[in-house]
Amino acid sequence: MKLGIVTDSTCDLPQALVKQHQLEVVPSILIIEGQEYLDGSGISRDEFYNRLPDFKTPPTTAAPSIGEFARRYQKLLDAGCDHVISIHAAGQLTSMVNIAQQAAKEFSNRVTVIDSRSLSLGVGFQVLAAAESAEDGLEAALAAIESTRKRLRVFAALDTVEYLRRSGRVPGTLAFLGSLLSIKPIVELADGEVKAIRAVRTTKQANTRMMSFMRQGGNLERLAILHTGTEARAREFLNQLMNEMSQSLPRDILMVNVTTVIGTHVGPNGLGFAAVKK
Amino acid sequence: MGIDTVRVEKLRDKPLDGQAVKRLVEAGLLWLKTNQQTVNSLNVFPVPDGDTGTNMMLTMTSAWNEIKDSGEKHAGKMVAMVAKGALMGARGNSGVILSQLWRGFARATQDSAIIDADVFVRGLMEARDTAYKGVVKPVEGTILTVAKDTATAAEAALSEVDDPIDVLARCVPAADASVNQTPELLPILKQAGVVDSGGKGLFFILEGMLRYIYGEPLDTPLATIQPLSSLNFDNAMQGVEEGQDYEVVVDFFPGQKFELQKFYGKLEEMGTSIQVGEGDGMYRMHIHVPLDKRYEPIDYIMGIGTITKVAMENLTAQMDEIDAKTKNTKLELANVEPNQIAVVVVSPGPGLSRIFASLGVAAIVEGGQTMNPSTQEILAAFENLPTEKIIVLPNNKNIILAANQAKDVTVKKVEVVPSKTVPQGLAAMLAHNPDGELASVSEKMTKALGEVKTGEITVATRTVEIDGVNVKEGEVIALLDGKLVVSSKSIEDGVMAFLKKAKAEEHELITLYYGEDFSQSDANRIVDVVRAAYPGQEIELQDGGQPHYQFIISVE
Repeated sequence: MKLGIVTDSTCDLPQALVKQHQLEVVPSILIIEGQEYLDGSGISRDEFYNRLPDFKTPPTTAAPSIGEFARRYQKLLDAGCDHVISIHAAGQLTSMVNIAQQAAKEFSNRVTVIDSRSLSLGVGFQVLAAAESAEDGLEAALAAIESTRKRLRVFAALDTVEYLRRSGRVPGTLAFLGSLLSIKPIVELADGEVKAIRAVRTTKQANTRMMSFMRQGGNLERLAILHTGTEARAREFLNQLMNEMSQSLPRDILMVNVTTVIGTHVGPNGLGFAAVKK
Repeated sequence: MGIDTVRVEKLRDKPLDGQAVKRLVEAGLLWLKTNQQTVNSLNVFPVPDGDTGTNMMLTMTSAWNEIKDSGEKHAGKMVAMVAKGALMGARGNSGVILSQLWRGFARATQDSAIIDADVFVRGLMEARDTAYKGVVKPVEGTILTVAKDTATAAEAALSEVDDPIDVLARCVPAADASVNQTPELLPILKQAGVVDSGGKGLFFILEGMLRYIYGEPLDTPLATIQPLSSLNFDNAMQGVEEGQDYEVVVDFFPGQKFELQKFYGKLEEMGTSIQVGEGDGMYRMHIHVPLDKRYEPIDYIMGIGTITKVAMENLTAQMDEIDAKTKNTKLELANVEPNQIAVVVVSPGPGLSRIFASLGVAAIVEGGQTMNPSTQEILAAFENLPTEKIIVLPNNKNIILAANQAKDVTVKKVEVVPSKTVPQGLAAMLAHNPDGELASVSEKMTKALGEVKTGEITVATRTVEIDGVNVKEGEVIALLDGKLVVSSKSIEDGVMAFLKKAKAEEHELITLYYGEDFSQSDANRIVDVVRAAYPGQEIELQDGGQPHYQFIISVE
């Protein structure tokens, strides 16, 4: 049985891994001052984060069309795949899963759509787990996804509440959103929801917290350091990790400038990580 | 004015029952009230700090309100009511300790319909023990020591006398001596040249009881003159009585025939909140009088000395202004669900209340430096919240005990996160998670207290040397985490000197909360200076609206 895997660009997997596992990646859409961009083309991530504070109207995002998904499914099935797994950004935060399900209806049980209940590498790691066990069949791949999701933790330290506040994408109420003080919220992405863990007021305090959340994870199977246009901060954090807990880290650590589609809701200078426990 | 021996003998013959207890409590309260300003002036720090005299007086008033209409004859039951009233009305550290003294006294006397010398002494000993246990780290040279020495004297008296009146008669001088000894036990008192204020307050209560027995008046203070520098008229503001619309302050040099006792007597016919200070031969008189009597003190003093300065202020107008300022603050407080954790904070200013509200607190108790809220007020703030899980942020070192007391008397699960300053409270608030587990959230919030340094900028209320800093009355002083670190000539200099002491250059963020008597434009001007001196730090200015403190500053 041959499995094909589809995901979307919010999974943030580097190009090399996409190629290696022959993944089909549906690009999300970003709208900046009236102009549409496919995620990953037209504007570089660095450039986007540099300009983000100055955009006159906040950028918005849009999901790809049903047709876009259907085209990918058709392509994989035509290429000899028996079944397709389509893994996407949290259904509670984006319409990606919903649209993929609409598209899958046309393929009479040959496409399984999975709600990752996560974002960025939180999705990406589930995709990798599926790809790595694809040869063992559909059941094994689905089990690998499930197992990864259970061991996954995703945290982010935002530099400001400003972007989250105006995004309207945050389910539930974060008390801190109304803050009169300038604060930096630390959020956990769990079960498809953004949950405020606490807030801090300085970058140093944020880094200390992130470090302690990382330690709680124990030994890690996979790890990605996520940032929004601030590689320097991410590198510094990585150095600190190597100094303090190198024994617990996996061999390969991804360092990812997060997709603009998420970044527009997070704002620049944010630091995060996605980690899968052993 | 001497001891009325006939009266003493009469009282000695009467058993010390519930009604007798009631009269003693009233006497203690009256005498404390009369001497409230004397106790208030015994501040260690030359800052408008939690006013011990006022706090203890309000605590005793609450106790009195509990019993004033009671015809209870059983002494133990009466004392139990006193203890309950004191507990609910306890304000400030001294008020809380005072309420614990009553609680201990009540425990030892509960089964006694009549208090004899034995029971009385046991009461004082149990009072001492309960108060010591109520404080995490008992400090000697405080009200605790005075309670201890009083109990010791009472115990010793028992071998010689067998009437509670005689025991009390020995306790009062012992308490007095103990108060005068406090500077030897607590160096900071000696440095500041004062005795312990809480101890002094306890002494006045005991002395008031004895004066009642002796038939001495309780409503006129012993004519005392404070040093000029310790006069603090802000305290008097709180006690503006109906009809006393004007505050009159007169500076004068008295003539030959000046008699202090007569002077006081005359002033008391005119008004209330009388304070008299002296320095270098010059006297300063402070009084609250009704509108139609506002020139009387001036006319009177003209006849007995040479007036150098007169100041008159319309208090009603001032109060209206304060009211107007506090009224236009409609706060959006967090709605807590039955299973969530609600945070209750004590906030000293409307701006700070708004900031706390924006961070998700569920209830706010107004209070701070000079108005420590009572146990009852803290309790009332969370009793009606729809959840059982409560965290209290006192945000002032003088309110922590009252908060702990509120925790002890409620059936709700309460954790007190001991924030001593507003910036600490805000730091703790950021660590709050309404959906977390109470113990772990409270632990995280407590940990967060250490993440910020607090600065408090105010004007010294008297001349003193403390923590190695020389301060003159009227100078600007800065406190770093409660310790006096620097004095200077202007607010701007005070802010800059504090930031230097706090090593602000090694931190990321400086937040300045300006006080109620400061305008935003003045605050902006100072922030510009800070910004120029600390280009590497983020600077944030917020309207705090707190009284007395021109700036509260956090460095983190």
